[in-house]
Amino acid sequence: MIELRELTKRYGGRVAVDALSVQVRPGVVTGFLGPNGSGKSTTMRMILGLDAPDHGEALIDGVRYAQLTRPLRTVGALLDAGAFHPGRSGRAHLAALAASNDIPAARVGEVLRVVGLSGAGDRRAGTYSLGMRQRLGVAVALLGDPGVLLLDEPVNGLDPEGIRWIRDLLRGLAAEGRTVFVSSHLIAEMALTAERLVVIGQGRLLAETTVAGLAAGHDSLEDAFFRLTSQATDYRGTGVS
Amino acid sequence: MRLAARMEWIKLRSVRSTWWLAIGAVVAMAAAGAGVGLGYRSHTPVATAAQIFNNSLGGAVLAQLLLSALGVLMVTGEYGSGTIRSTLAAVPRRRTVLAAKTLVCGGFALTVGLVASFAGYLSGQLAIRGTAIPAAGLGDPGILQAVVLTGVYLGATALIGVGLGAVVRHSGAAIGTLFGLMFVPMIAAGLFGESGITIGRFLPLLMLLNSIAVTKPVPGLFTGWVSVLLMAGYATVILLSGGVVLRRRDA
Ligand SMILES: Nc1ncnc2c1ncn2[C@@H]1O[C@H](COP(=O)(O)OP(=O)(O)OP(=O)(O)O)[C@@H](O)[C@H]1O
Ligand SMILES: [Mg+2]
Repeated sequence: MIELRELTKRYGGRVAVDALSVQVRPGVVTGFLGPNGSGKSTTMRMILGLDAPDHGEALIDGVRYAQLTRPLRTVGALLDAGAFHPGRSGRAHLAALAASNDIPAARVGEVLRVVGLSGAGDRRAGTYSLGMRQRLGVAVALLGDPGVLLLDEPVNGLDPEGIRWIRDLLRGLAAEGRTVFVSSHLIAEMALTAERLVVIGQGRLLAETTVAGLAAGHDSLEDAFFRLTSQATDYRGTGVS
Repeated sequence: MRLAARMEWIKLRSVRSTWWLAIGAVVAMAAAGAGVGLGYRSHTPVATAAQIFNNSLGGAVLAQLLLSALGVLMVTGEYGSGTIRSTLAAVPRRRTVLAAKTLVCGGFALTVGLVASFAGYLSGQLAIRGTAIPAAGLGDPGILQAVVLTGVYLGATALIGVGLGAVVRHSGAAIGTLFGLMFVPMIAAGLFGESGITIGRFLPLLMLLNSIAVTKPVPGLFTGWVSVLLMAGYATVILLSGGVVLRRRDA
């Protein structure tokens, strides 16, 4: 269970996350939607204690991230794809993280197998494709067999098979009673993966609902999303004239 | 802390740059030692033991740059690649992370520094074998101390690198700052001529060449032990600053 209480973050004068209060429950996949720059990644960093909130707090099973003793065994996170030292092998990256949280070294081989990187684990991460780095990131998230999973755009860069794999993986993890919080831009994909949705715009909560609830009364989920976020989109392209 | 140190050790040994820099430091000192020895072989008048010894440790000037870069990269390499977020998510106590890096880097760089220092000394001595130049034995006054203190000095420069990396975060900027700190004050002190020594004796490079890596300190400088303690003090101050910055800033 993840609980955000009036979580607020400012960068300079700009508010990136604005008094966001949300509960993310276990047992279902919760999608985290919002236009570019709406504060999804910032929220995730604050949950992990990487960025300090200016106001409010983020709690995991009732405590702050920094208070967890072996955090990787409680929370698994995938932030940005490719956040690996290019000269270090995927296996060594995982082994280092496993050591830090007293996770048995055998688990490294296991998660590499789960994400389909057994054959590439000993190669330097700098030689991985985008999809392979994304898979290694998922392996990191799964490493401590955590009850809470936090994934920032996990399908970015994955091939269709990989996208389906992530979908089944996340749904399976949620079905085991875990809390799964996953951000994405792909609304159609979220409709297939998530049961609940948290939608934000300009850092503020716009909706906390089910997929069916959001789509109700609209032609499509996409339409519903655009209607909801139309007043809260910072970066919007225009046609070429 | 023990677990965090294990993580740092796995990370340190699993990138090639670590080994290149370590080997580079040893080779630099061995080569300088051999070069000095060979250069003096046919020198007239016959070189003294102190001349050979002091100069044979001169490779430490290059070795310190390599090992301090190693220390810098242990921190900035993580910021550059984004790995720092994984690290801090795994060990949210940031001072523990920095302490673990300090321990692992310090232990590794001290070992490498000692090996390099002995390599410089031994290759210098090997290169003058069979000549009239008197050998400097480890039992002779000041010799063992100078070799060991040079190794410790090299370990301290790596820790200064770690601290500076935590403060500056960017590889290029941190290494640039570090090299600047090594050389610029030294040149500045040189401008003051004789009186420059009152400041000069506090400067790492001058301490290395005139107080630490020599049989007898140049007059006006601190003893080798005091100089090395000063280096350890510098490393402590910058590591503590790094700890403050690491705790305060967003990752
Ligand atoms: N380190 C930072 N310094 C300054 N501003 C930042 C920083 N990180 C994020 N921001 C700003 O905060 C806002 C939210 O950014 P964030 O990355 O959280 O959005 P996002 O929802 O993840 O966007 P996207 O969908 O594009 O990934 C943006 O306006 C961004 O410019
Ligand atoms: Mg984002």
